[in-house]
Amino acid sequence: MASIKARELYSYYGKSPVLQGVSFDLSPGEFLAVLGRNGVGKTTLLKTIMGLTDRCEGGLAFDDQDILGLSTSQRSRLGIGYIPQGREIIPQFTVRENILMGTFARPDGKREIPDYLFEMFPILDEFIGRRGGDLSGGQQQQLAIARALAMDPKILILDEPTEGIQPNIVKQIEDAIVWLNRERGLSIILVEQNVPFAKSASDRFLLLDKGRVVLSGKTDDLADEDAEKHLTF
Amino acid sequence: MDVIANQLFAGLSMASILLMIALGLAIIYGAMGVINLAHGEFVMLGAYVTWALQTHVGIGILPALPIVFIAVALVGLIVEKAVVQKLYHRPLDTILATWGIGIILQQLVRLGIGAESRFVKGPEILSGNTEIGPLIMSNYRIFVIFFSIAVLFVTWRLMTRTEFGMKLRAVIQNRDISECYGIESKRIFSITFAYGAGLAGIAGALITPLFSTIPTMGTGLVVDAFLVVIVGGLGSLVGSAVAAALIGEATALFSIVINDTLGRIAVLAGIILLIRFRPRGLFPTETRR
Repeated sequence: MASIKARELYSYYGKSPVLQGVSFDLSPGEFLAVLGRNGVGKTTLLKTIMGLTDRCEGGLAFDDQDILGLSTSQRSRLGIGYIPQGREIIPQFTVRENILMGTFARPDGKREIPDYLFEMFPILDEFIGRRGGDLSGGQQQQLAIARALAMDPKILILDEPTEGIQPNIVKQIEDAIVWLNRERGLSIILVEQNVPFAKSASDRFLLLDKGRVVLSGKTDDLADEDAEKHLTF
Repeated sequence: MDVIANQLFAGLSMASILLMIALGLAIIYGAMGVINLAHGEFVMLGAYVTWALQTHVGIGILPALPIVFIAVALVGLIVEKAVVQKLYHRPLDTILATWGIGIILQQLVRLGIGAESRFVKGPEILSGNTEIGPLIMSNYRIFVIFFSIAVLFVTWRLMTRTEFGMKLRAVIQNRDISECYGIESKRIFSITFAYGAGLAGIAGALITPLFSTIPTMGTGLVVDAFLVVIVGGLGSLVGSAVAAALIGEATALFSIVINDTLGRIAVLAGIILLIRFRPRGLFPTETRR
């Protein structure tokens, strides 16, 4: 469980500010959905939390500790598990090595893979020796989630985890995300194009447009016409 | 027949030295995309450290090896942290910068120790020859051949069987994501560079009884080592080993058939032809773009 506080975040690629004054709060154990059309800065918001953009201004606190000055690897060791868009597992690594890689972010230096990962995604146990690059998209997504969980994170940030994945696995991944939040108490920030799932799973939402927050609040209060207005083209 | 057998052995001996130098170059390039033109000077430093230890402290080549490795690795670490690390996003500039560092190191040695050739005695225990029929092999050269194979094996284990190696391979394949999982790529690069430099230092130590120890000794060797890396396929360990053997043997055999100079030209022509048809070398690998 962990909290994140963002205040007036500006984040840059080169000289162009992709995020322009984004503020939000995530309380411990909360589930925040980040919504918006393509290219409005959702992915950039997550990358900013990880310190992967070129430059960033404003305030960003993790558990009340300022993290803007920390390197990406230092941030990961605080317990931020990042599951990037396109999964980005290491194709030449085996499934086992990919999961083990997650443990490198553990501050206690332990190199154990928690058993519950294989209960959640049995296919990973079955394919433990295969190369990550040989898995299907859905299996790779499960692997990416398992890798993030292997670091025993306090918060998970996921970037479109169901994008381009076969429908039967989508359900499995959605259930896993909800279970991690409800049963294991992980705080979650989810970037999602699938609005029905985001609405059913999240406590709060953040609606972005052109690098700014246009609407935010409790997900239950998100009116369909507002969603419609900012999410359709 | 005798001449050929003896030349084959000489070629293998040359190959073993090239391999140790090329390994350092190959892993530094493979990991960081940095072409280290100061590598020859790391070899030279290794030779001079060995000379200094033998002349001033009385430590022979064999016990000096670990000290030389650490000393040259430290120099590599300083070079990496002070210069190379600042230029990760400017690969062309690293070529120029490392070349400059090479010149500085060379001149420092020339000014501090002198330009004249220094003599280092081979280890007593490995003096003498082993003769199999007409084949006469110096024990020391046999030792160097086996030592280089051991270095190749240790490097391979380091890359494939250790946590450091896994982190390095992760960084090579996806630096951002590696950072997201607690891997400090800068630290990994520094260690890799230092390790490559240390290998060059060991090569320098081992060639002291075979080559004259002068400030410019690294330059010629590093050219050949670059050929090895290019022929082997940038960043490939196996490729470097095969290419070192090929180039060492080709040089040795051509020099019987023709003479040393023409043999050298023939080898270079052969490499140009090979690169024409296999531009990525014999064993191309994925490297950082």
